[in-house]
Amino acid sequence: MTPQAKLIFTISLILGTTITISSNHWLMAWAGLEINTLAVLPLISKSHHPRAIEAATKYFLVQSAASALVLFSSTTNAWHTGQWDITQMTHPLSCLILTSAIAMKLGLVPFHFWFPEVLQGSTLTTGLLLSTAMKLPPMALLYMTSPSLNPTLLTTLAILSAALGGWMGLNQTQIRKILAFSSISHLGWMTIIIHYNPKLTLLNFYLYILMTAAVFLTLNSTKALKLSTLMTTWTKAPSLNAMLLLTLLSLAGLPPLTGFLPKWLIIQELTKQDMVSTATIISLLSLLGLFFYLRLAYCTTITLPPHTTNHMKQWHVNKPISPSIAILTTMSIALLPISPMILTAL
Amino acid sequence: MTYLHLSFYSAFTLNTLGLAFHRTHLISALLCLEGMMLSMYIALSMWPIQTQSPSSTLLPILMLTFSACEAATGLALLVASTRTHGSDLLHNFNLLQC
Repeated sequence: MTPQAKLIFTISLILGTTITISSNHWLMAWAGLEINTLAVLPLISKSHHPRAIEAATKYFLVQSAASALVLFSSTTNAWHTGQWDITQMTHPLSCLILTSAIAMKLGLVPFHFWFPEVLQGSTLTTGLLLSTAMKLPPMALLYMTSPSLNPTLLTTLAILSAALGGWMGLNQTQIRKILAFSSISHLGWMTIIIHYNPKLTLLNFYLYILMTAAVFLTLNSTKALKLSTLMTTWTKAPSLNAMLLLTLLSLAGLPPLTGFLPKWLIIQELTKQDMVSTATIISLLSLLGLFFYLRLAYCTTITLPPHTTNHMKQWHVNKPISPSIAILTTMSIALLPISPMILTAL
Repeated sequence: MTYLHLSFYSAFTLNTLGLAFHRTHLISALLCLEGMMLSMYIALSMWPIQTQSPSSTLLPILMLTFSACEAATGLALLVASTRTHGSDLLHNFNLLQC
């Protein structure tokens, strides 16, 4: 793709995201969502590989249907209440349809079927874009409308997302699909707390972006797409592979690492709101995710000689690794001690 | 104006169900998407008439612009998938199965 085209698509993505996040009128929010969808489709289908075109088609159908549902719910609300303000959604049918539309945009559970296949069909950098930047506008809409949405429905979607994200990731060998299911379960954690303390949702989202970016960029620099390929990447950049172990365990939410902070605060807030059984259920369901993160960590870092792998040694050339990987990895491992400072910045 | 409300809701709902249950061809899904956008256009055109706010008459034009872009993108994806998969039969879109 020519640099001018890539520039236009990148600027359109930034424009669409900014329009949705800063909008007060529902039509502006919908316009930003549409600009985002239209701009990311050429980036997914850039290589014209059949898998990429199929991923782009599935992404387009789902996101367009979700945008149309957002517009429908806002028009219904406007007909019943006479105004288009995003924070003033009061009609219950509109709120229900809006919840399902945002769930479709994000990839929450009854509407998650497109997400693993779309991530599988795109490259690692495009997958990073789909997992992090394309979730920012729907998350902003969820944050702005969260007081008017049904909390029981959101809690149900969240627990189902954590459950299915964990269970369906267990049988995968393709790393992009594993990362898609990890994204789905993290979205479950973000959704469960949005009614009680929306700032924790945003904290979880920002830290999830940090950790996912570190993992995707590390995998991109070693070009590992399957578990079997991952077992021989230690020859390419040994220290980076060792750090990938810690980054994956941070995604899983283990204590001295950064990924523990959002889970800890969410469980604390749920307990304060007298939802102890919900907190217990969602914590137990995140153990399923821990299993496939540990499997990824084992294939990456612990599979060294004399443990044998079942994959041939790969050809590799010495390509310089960008310094942003170092910054993101360090932040995704070591931010827990400064968590009071992070909380005051929210 | 409840007859208008009913016709808009049913048009949109039927198109959404058509998009959700499309079984054979990709183009039928794209047609249902266009039907959804058309019913939204009619609803947005009726709203300023009903609430006597002529400043919102711009809204259906904005919506139509974006939905035209989206329709063009959908057709471009239809052409691309016909080039790679041979047809627009949804049965053939199985390269990315779990």
